[in-house]
Amino acid sequence: MKKVLPILIAVVTGLTSLAGYFFQARLAPIPGMLINWGIALVGLAGLLGVGYLVRMHVIRIARGQKGGFNSVILIAAFFFTIIAAIMLTPQDPLFRNWVLNIQIPVETSLLAILTVTLLYASLRVIRTRGWTLMSISFMASALVSLVLNLRYLQPEPGTLGAAWVEFIRRLPLVGLRGILIGVALGGLIVGLRVLLAMDRPYEDEQ
Amino acid sequence: MTWPEIGWVIIGLAAVLLVVFNIRFKRRGRYPVRTQPMVQSYVDQRACAVERGERRWVLLGDQFWSRAYPALGLQALSVFSSLGKVDPLADEGHIVAAGTGELALFARQIAQGSYQGGVSSRLVVALPGPTPFSFLAGAMAELGLHPLGSMGLFGNFGQTGALLAEAAEMKGGHLLAAAGSVDAQAALFLVTRDLMIGEEVFMLPGLIDPTPSNQAGWVSEDILRIALMVLLVIAAGLKLAGVI
Repeated sequence: MKKVLPILIAVVTGLTSLAGYFFQARLAPIPGMLINWGIALVGLAGLLGVGYLVRMHVIRIARGQKGGFNSVILIAAFFFTIIAAIMLTPQDPLFRNWVLNIQIPVETSLLAILTVTLLYASLRVIRTRGWTLMSISFMASALVSLVLNLRYLQPEPGTLGAAWVEFIRRLPLVGLRGILIGVALGGLIVGLRVLLAMDRPYEDEQ
Repeated sequence: MTWPEIGWVIIGLAAVLLVVFNIRFKRRGRYPVRTQPMVQSYVDQRACAVERGERRWVLLGDQFWSRAYPALGLQALSVFSSLGKVDPLADEGHIVAAGTGELALFARQIAQGSYQGGVSSRLVVALPGPTPFSFLAGAMAELGLHPLGSMGLFGNFGQTGALLAEAAEMKGGHLLAAAGSVDAQAALFLVTRDLMIGEEVFMLPGLIDPTPSNQAGWVSEDILRIALMVLLVIAAGLKLAGVI
């Protein structure tokens, strides 16, 4: 029973949600209810996840492990934010400004680092991947796309040149769709394997 | 035929194929799938990392579910489950990092169920941060603390996956990148050699541990892919001829 019950719940919930998507007129309230239950469970899992985060850093501080100083800062910032949110409420303008004025610059800095990293990586892609057909075509298509997106090449509308530019500009979409079809089929099979109980990530003994 | 009906046909066909081939592969036979030396190399490097006392990181993505890529969280968990079948044990050096609470919970469940050699109470299922950027910042900080043996990048990442990959390469760790989103794959292409693209990502659990259900998944996916390709070519031909 311990094994069957989670499988039964997962399969029935999954199939009902799927049926609700296709028969929206008849089954409209049921998927909505299931999704609401799911959101509540995800919220609870999120809290447990934050618990993992705090526990990991508290253990690190208690044992005096490497990186303990960062953990002290994290724990202090975490509890300060929680207490401030409880006292001021998350809608309070002072609290929102406070949090956003720290969060947005930090995230922007990370994006800036990412941009520099990708730029540098694109300059040494041949060294990373060698002179292969894949790496050369990747670099060539990236360069052509960049040049075309500068919009310096603007042939007369309705001419053969304009049609060619439009064709080349849309060419990456073809590759993107090809990859996305593969990803969608893979996703479908993964989902079905869970629905048919062939994969059971919710079970602790397989 | 309406779009929902076409959807039902594809889902129904996939389900039938999965069940039929699962039964078939349980009894006999094997599906000879495309080989990927990078996967075997990754599994070997994980074993070497245990011997050298280095950390083995498994990153399960910064989201469990997204509208564009709904199955990537499950795919990452499936890879982790497969690793449990081939890994000697889950000890302190094995770090599983997830970007959401539900991924972390499922990962803990899987670790307790999958690892044949046992799970140490000091196994680290970490949640470096509960949002994509805090996950990135937290994971980058953690990566720098100990020598890195290997890192697997699975599941749902954006372009930020490239920063984690770059950090792993700089630490000298062996990296296998199988992040599912197109953004991540494009960014990872620049920084790593061992990268899985498109549907290859979904073949990974079976390449690590080829169970009958994984093999049934491969063959069903291949049949559906060929059917879709044929349909697309026919539809394009009919459109060119002005029939539709």
